[in-house]
Amino acid sequence: MAGGKQNKLSREEELLLQDFSRNVSTKSSALFYGNAFIVSAIPMWLFWRIHQMDLYQSAIIFVIGTIISTYLVALAYKNVKFILKHKIALKREDAVAKEMMKKLADDKRMTKKEKDERVLWKKNEVADYEATTFSIFYNNALYLVLLIVASFFLLKNFNPVVNYSLSVGSAAGLLALFSTSSKV
Amino acid sequence: MFLIRREISFYLPWLSSPFNVTYETMAATGKVLVIIGLCLLPILTNGDTCLAPQIKSQTYSTPEAIVSTETVLIVEFTVNCKNLLKNINLYADVLGRLIPATKTTEPNKYQISISDEHKKLPSGNYEVRVFDEEGFASLRKAQRSGESTEALKPLFTLTLNHPGIWTGSIVQTEFVAAITAIVVWWFAYTSRAKLLA
Repeated sequence: MAGGKQNKLSREEELLLQDFSRNVSTKSSALFYGNAFIVSAIPMWLFWRIHQMDLYQSAIIFVIGTIISTYLVALAYKNVKFILKHKIALKREDAVAKEMMKKLADDKRMTKKEKDERVLWKKNEVADYEATTFSIFYNNALYLVLLIVASFFLLKNFNPVVNYSLSVGSAAGLLALFSTSSKV
Repeated sequence: MFLIRREISFYLPWLSSPFNVTYETMAATGKVLVIIGLCLLPILTNGDTCLAPQIKSQTYSTPEAIVSTETVLIVEFTVNCKNLLKNINLYADVLGRLIPATKTTEPNKYQISISDEHKKLPSGNYEVRVFDEEGFASLRKAQRSGESTEALKPLFTLTLNHPGIWTGSIVQTEFVAAITAIVVWWFAYTSRAKLLA
């Protein structure tokens, strides 16, 4: 695509592009990384208090584990959000359009095109918000299940350091892997 | 051979008048010593038996099986004899096992402990029959000849109450945590499936 043509994209097209891109806004990204960090830091408490690992002695492995896990969980958030967003947009399309039309019905000056644009924008916003929150919820739930099952049952006889590395690594890794599936 | 008549008086505690031994030869000295020994024997043996023992005991039994691989029963007791005997050797018979009572650093304080698998030491009252050396000897004798040891009278009997062991809660905490997490995830999964449908 030539550089000159890029500027000629209409607002609708830009919204459409945004709608279909995997990129997330800075705000959304901050939300994802913040949440991913909190969820990834939880295992530290588990291994410190329950598996009796020393917080200072194991600081390095905790920090490395948390960073890797944060990255993978945030990746999973993004992927799941991307898949969910379109589906949610389709599901909520009619309701959003109806609501927006009702709201804009009194405004006689607004053209049909402008109204459609508003509807599209609102639809995008609603779907984005719902997909973001749901993606965080779903991935957190799955991450904790994987972590608890791995650390308490599968790796319970391992030394805590190995247990931490493997359970956090496998929980975050599997989460990222599952998030890439587009299976409905 | 010269015959020398001699008379020796012994003062024995159970006789009011002195016990007189008269002997006529030097060669008879050995016999006299044997007689004296025989006379003193009851005193010596009597001196080894604890009379009217007063017992103060404390018991311990393993309360739970999570951190202990075996059940341990411990009885600690202090014996005070009326005849002020100290540091006598005591033996215990618990469930037919003969165990020497361990003397502790405190005087007249003893400890008896047995340990076995949890199943072999179930909850209940355990009779700890404590014998002194004499009683222990007759106990061994009865055991050797295959007789019942029930009839033998111990020095005293202690009762140890073992309330049983706690094997942990039926459902483990991590299991509850895992189930909760799975339920939440299942809810999330079904909601996701509805959204994606």
